[in-house]
Amino acid sequence: MSTEKVSKEPLFSKKNKKLITDPVTDNNPITIQVLGICSALAITVQVSQAVVMSLSVLFVMIMGNLIISLLRHMIPSRIRIIVQLLIVASLVIVVDQVLAAFLPDLSAKLSVFVGLIITNCIIMGRLEAFAMGNKPWPSILDGFGNAIGYGVILIIVAVFRELLGSGTLMGYPLLGDSITGTGLYSIGYMNNNLMILPPMALIIVGIIIWVQRSRNKELIEEH
Amino acid sequence: MESTLDIFVKAIFSENMIFAYFLGMCSYLAVSKTVKTAVGLGLAVIFVLTVTVPVNYLLENYVLKQGALTWIDPKYAELDLSFLAFIMFIAVVASMVQLVEMLVEKFAPALYGALGIFLPLIAVNCSILGGALFMQERQYSTILDATAFSLGSGIGWFIAIVAIAAIREKLRYSNVPGPLRGLGITFIVTGLMGIAFMSFMGIKYGEEVAEESAPTETSASDQTPENN
Amino acid sequence: MAFNKESNGFTFGFAIVLVIVLGVVLASLSEGLRPFKEKNVRVKKQLDILSAMLDIEKEGITRANAEDIFPKYVDLNDAIIINYKGQEIGKGKEAFEIDIKKEFRDKTLEEKDKRYPLFIAKESNKKRYIIPVVGKGLWGPIWGYLCLKEDMRTILGVSFDHKQETPGLGAEINKKFFMEQWKSSQISNDQGMFQKYEVVKDMSGKKSDTDNAIDGITGGTITSKGVEEMVNRTLKLYSIYFKSKM
Repeated sequence: MSTEKVSKEPLFSKKNKKLITDPVTDNNPITIQVLGICSALAITVQVSQAVVMSLSVLFVMIMGNLIISLLRHMIPSRIRIIVQLLIVASLVIVVDQVLAAFLPDLSAKLSVFVGLIITNCIIMGRLEAFAMGNKPWPSILDGFGNAIGYGVILIIVAVFRELLGSGTLMGYPLLGDSITGTGLYSIGYMNNNLMILPPMALIIVGIIIWVQRSRNKELIEEH
Repeated sequence: MESTLDIFVKAIFSENMIFAYFLGMCSYLAVSKTVKTAVGLGLAVIFVLTVTVPVNYLLENYVLKQGALTWIDPKYAELDLSFLAFIMFIAVVASMVQLVEMLVEKFAPALYGALGIFLPLIAVNCSILGGALFMQERQYSTILDATAFSLGSGIGWFIAIVAIAAIREKLRYSNVPGPLRGLGITFIVTGLMGIAFMSFMGIKYGEEVAEESAPTETSASDQTPENN
Repeated sequence: MAFNKESNGFTFGFAIVLVIVLGVVLASLSEGLRPFKEKNVRVKKQLDILSAMLDIEKEGITRANAEDIFPKYVDLNDAIIINYKGQEIGKGKEAFEIDIKKEFRDKTLEEKDKRYPLFIAKESNKKRYIIPVVGKGLWGPIWGYLCLKEDMRTILGVSFDHKQETPGLGAEINKKFFMEQWKSSQISNDQGMFQKYEVVKDMSGKKSDTDNAIDGITGGTITSKGVEEMVNRTLKLYSIYFKSKM
């Protein structure tokens, strides 16, 4: 490195803050970078699933970015990708084991998708693009920001699907009880069961992208 | 129990990797701009899936799960290595993809150039690891079932990506509103295709027909050797 | 740093150290958490068995206290294992360990080697019989427990569950409104001959008067029919055992 000044950057400087806020909107991993779609669609039937998944990804991203950043000067470039993969896979195993031991019902619902965090392109993408070349603290922030950006989309989609599809949020019936016919159901409202089925997740994300691009004209594709 | 053929057909249609489980979305969206690249990637995915899932099946059943290592020594009956599954599966997948990459580079250099970065990315394609994980979760009892599942899943993925590529090529000539163009409309069209594929849920698989036609009285006495 | 991180020696060494460290960390975690994981599986099974017999919500039985409460209702030493012909082939605690889901799915396991557990429970000072059932839904396995009264004929209660049936449709098989219907129905007639269950789309469409009719779930036909198949196939077998005890 050339004439690098050894001045310490404040922990939450403007540059560092951007690491957190960018991925939530303008550089959102799901809707802009088009990464991590698979789990975003499958785990959004209920808000509780989306929350647990987002927290798991948050843990893996922060720890992953931190570990790789700490080791970045030591990792031989030939086995770079394998090392990243090993670290991520191990972190996911930790998450999976802890879930199976302490939150068994949720673990059963998430089933294979916890394992699929390994192939979540966001994680590998950020490790390679950021953590390999940056200091630990910014790497932590970058991991945090991207995980939040991912979580926000997941939860938005889950809120729509759970509310419109089952009439509940986090398990609490908000619109009344559909079986006994109280609340909104007494005037003939029925749950939109299509929301619970996989295709609707795709359509909802499509709409979110529509909204995002309408607000930020620069993101519109040529064709 | 389900026949091997049922597993195969289900994997292609009603449990399609893309439309039912959303696995492999990233490369699906990125490589479906033209039919040519879609076909190339689709074939690569079929190959990798069909090879890695059976290999992982052998790993799971003879090395990883509880009591799997008893063929070396019976005292290993209590040993459960299944927590290493993620690492071992992804290692198998990564090596297989490396192999495919070398083969494609040698025998189809034009395709290699067209696919670019997406070929090594198959390693992190959720559908490949997902295939292995589903195989493990559903505990298919024979390697033939596991292979039928992976071949079917690959073919299903192939159909999905070629179909969306064909549609996207035509969509370029339509008047899609700015913000929806490209990614947005692809999501929505994929959603619609997913709804269409759900119609396959109605397929009645072989054995269920036989069950219903068996009358009550005689079947109770079928079980006992003596008739009352 | 003086050494060359790209050298073969370092690359090799790094890889080995990494693998060993990861291996040790993961293995210790897995072993350390094992008792928790095993307890979770055990407790779930206990809850499922009890829920066929009682309203566990009302009785306040949860994952936290299930292990203590379970033996008060079910004495595993009395449990029985029968074979595919309805004959008793075993007794005792090992009945609880039988994984019927695994046996159902295992194509290499022959019919004659399959084992069917029967749990004997006591509730309200009466003997209860609890039968595990397993079958195929639309998207995955479905299973449950049926609880019979002391006459070995009348259903006291049932509990069903599933892995991934369609929420709002097939998934409703584990809701009270579906499970209540099975109560008080009789699985066999006075001579001990098995009486089939039929899940119908509307109650007036019963095929015959002797069949037990259950109202299926609208929109969840395949799952509902899966429950019918599962119950009939299993009860057909157990009714032979019960008949031999009459």
